Amino acid sequence: MNKIGLIVTREYLSRVKKRSFVIMTLVGPLIFAGLMAVAILVAQADQTEHNILVVDTTGIVTRLDDASGQYVPTCLDCFPEKDGYVWRFTNSQISDSAFIASDHTVMIELYDDLYLHKKVGLFYKKVPSISATSHMESNLERAVERARVVSEGVIDYEAYKRLKVDLTLNKVNITKGDSFEQERAGVGMGFAVIIFFFIFVFGAYVMRGVMEEKSNRIVEVIISSVKPFQLMLGKIIGIGLVAITQILIWVVFSMLIFGVVGLLFESGSLAGAMETAETMQAGQANMDFESFLAQQDGFKLLLEINWILMLSMFVLYFIGGYLLYSGLFASIGAAVDDENDTQQFMAPVMLPLMFSYFISIMSVNNPEGIAAKVFSFIPFTSPTVMMVRVAIGGVSFWELLLSLGILAASCFGMIWIAGKIYRTGILMYGKRATYKELWKWITYKN
Amino acid sequence: MLALEVNHINKAYGSHKALSDVSLSMPESCIYGLLGPNGAGKTSLIRIINQITAPDEGEVIFFGEALKAEHVHQIGYLPEERGLYRKMKIGDQAMYLAQLKGMSKADAKRELKMWFDRLDIGDWWNKKVEELSKGMAQKVQFISTVLHKPRLLILDEPFSGFDPINAAVIRQEILRLRDEGASIILSTHNMASVEEICDNITLIHQSHVVIEGEVNEVRNRYAQNEFEIEFNGSLIGFTTGLGPFFHLVSTEGEANHHRAIVKLGEGRKLNDLLKSVIDTVDIQEVKPRVPSMNEIFISAVSNVKEGL
Repeated sequence: MNKIGLIVTREYLSRVKKRSFVIMTLVGPLIFAGLMAVAILVAQADQTEHNILVVDTTGIVTRLDDASGQYVPTCLDCFPEKDGYVWRFTNSQISDSAFIASDHTVMIELYDDLYLHKKVGLFYKKVPSISATSHMESNLERAVERARVVSEGVIDYEAYKRLKVDLTLNKVNITKGDSFEQERAGVGMGFAVIIFFFIFVFGAYVMRGVMEEKSNRIVEVIISSVKPFQLMLGKIIGIGLVAITQILIWVVFSMLIFGVVGLLFESGSLAGAMETAETMQAGQANMDFESFLAQQDGFKLLLEINWILMLSMFVLYFIGGYLLYSGLFASIGAAVDDENDTQQFMAPVMLPLMFSYFISIMSVNNPEGIAAKVFSFIPFTSPTVMMVRVAIGGVSFWELLLSLGILAASCFGMIWIAGKIYRTGILMYGKRATYKELWKWITYKN
Repeated sequence: MLALEVNHINKAYGSHKALSDVSLSMPESCIYGLLGPNGAGKTSLIRIINQITAPDEGEVIFFGEALKAEHVHQIGYLPEERGLYRKMKIGDQAMYLAQLKGMSKADAKRELKMWFDRLDIGDWWNKKVEELSKGMAQKVQFISTVLHKPRLLILDEPFSGFDPINAAVIRQEILRLRDEGASIILSTHNMASVEEICDNITLIHQSHVVIEGEVNEVRNRYAQNEFEIEFNGSLIGFTTGLGPFFHLVSTEGEANHHRAIVKLGEGRKLNDLLKSVIDTVDIQEVKPRVPSMNEIFISAVSNVKEGL
């Protein structure tokens, strides 16, 4: 046991001290934060000034204000001047060159057949973002709607607004009283991706570590002091601890970065939210309010997940999945002489790993499908698939226990078999191992 | 007490028989040559003694006890194909290997400092293996093998990769370790070094032990009743003087000075040989011709081949 400790220590320290590990550990979250910053910048770029000129020859949304001699909207609160939107109105068409020469960024033209074709022309110098387009669209829509209600004269506009109904489907799972299954499956998928990624990267480290010892021939010196099985296990555990270290550092880092980013943007977005709340009170439900709600849901969704269960399952399934696959990787490393020969054995590792990844994606779309259920018990796929199911919730205790039990038993089986292949493989040089040969190695007595 | 007894060991890998009924007895505090052509089964035997593999049949007795796991701490093994971690500092590496052999950190450090100084590599502690030449790495490996003061040392081709000066240093160290009480198995193809430093040998060929014994005894056993005679005089006179009872094996020399190797006939003695030539030539020197280990090796290996 003490010897395994020595091996674990060496494997761990020799990797953690490597410059590449330090760089990757520090830079990883920065890359992540950088991507987030870019996303925020893109969103911010959206808040450019929109100087809109509405050319209304129909008189549906504009009228001449006698006092100022200017054209103004017939519906005064339909075109709120905020968030960089400036509205100007006219009743006469202007030439393209005049528009280009003007300060206006966008020109909206109402046609005479507006009621018939329900089309409005939008001319721009720089293409407006999708959210800006839909903002302008909804403002215009409301103004046209009002004009129409008023012109029909059947009902007064205030009464119309009271009668108008806007529906949102609010999904609730009746058995669980749950509203965000798919969103939470997405969170589970995030964990599944992390497990997949780390198994893949650190499993490959195990394989290369074994190959390194085999090809530089230090292995025979070491196994004259320790059992090959101890050496393999020490390597797998040591590298697994490196993986856990990296995950922990990334978690802490990401939390710090999230905190800082959150603080920086909270003030701005909070102000925005307040304003939308005000407009809502004014009875003017619009796009902003919906996205505000979605934001609220996002928070609620995160709060609704059972994080203690989620994180403890993540740890257990990560360890199980890593042990299972690293046993395979170690066997490959022992069976081959150099990196080129690994290809022939990579398929049995990569196929289940990729398969489990795709099954997890499928499970996000159909979290309670039969495939998600079945593959959450099969050891090669359960680490990723079960994470999706746990995130959704409703996985019974015995299901978790069974799945983890099967995984644990498979880990023991796999490490045992890997030990057999390893023991023979590491001392075998210059011979291309075949699957038949590997089977012989597994069945050797000693 | 015997350092090592190997009793009737059999080992097969699949259909390949690596060792057939191999037995040997190795006295304490000696250098024991383990010889044999490539693929004879030496490495298989060494791996069994190191408990890397187990024999199918037979037993190994280590200083009077059946070989068991704890004994690995009393064995030092320098494999023929040996390496180190390329990116690890050699001091750290030697410490790691020493601790795997059960040494405490403090002991390992103290002994390492001593050995690094003794082999003149004291300032290499923080160097990485990839910065060292092959010979330098070999020194580190040798130290790692002997550091924990093993009772049994197994050295497989210990001189390969050393220049003649460092090979001599290592030879001195091996002899010193034996004099301090270590029992050393030396596996090599270098027969000159076998004659020079081995006390006993075993020759394995095609999974069988072919020769076992003390080096001088083995060489005498293989002596063919041949003598080397150096003389001044005519070679023709010498040859005619030999008569039918002595067989001239080979000669070398020129004009009036020759060296001849003569095999005695059945029942003849050296005195008879001398009598028959003493009148014809002027004898300078006579000595029995003992075959070199190299000759014994070649003849033993080819005999078995013919025999099979």
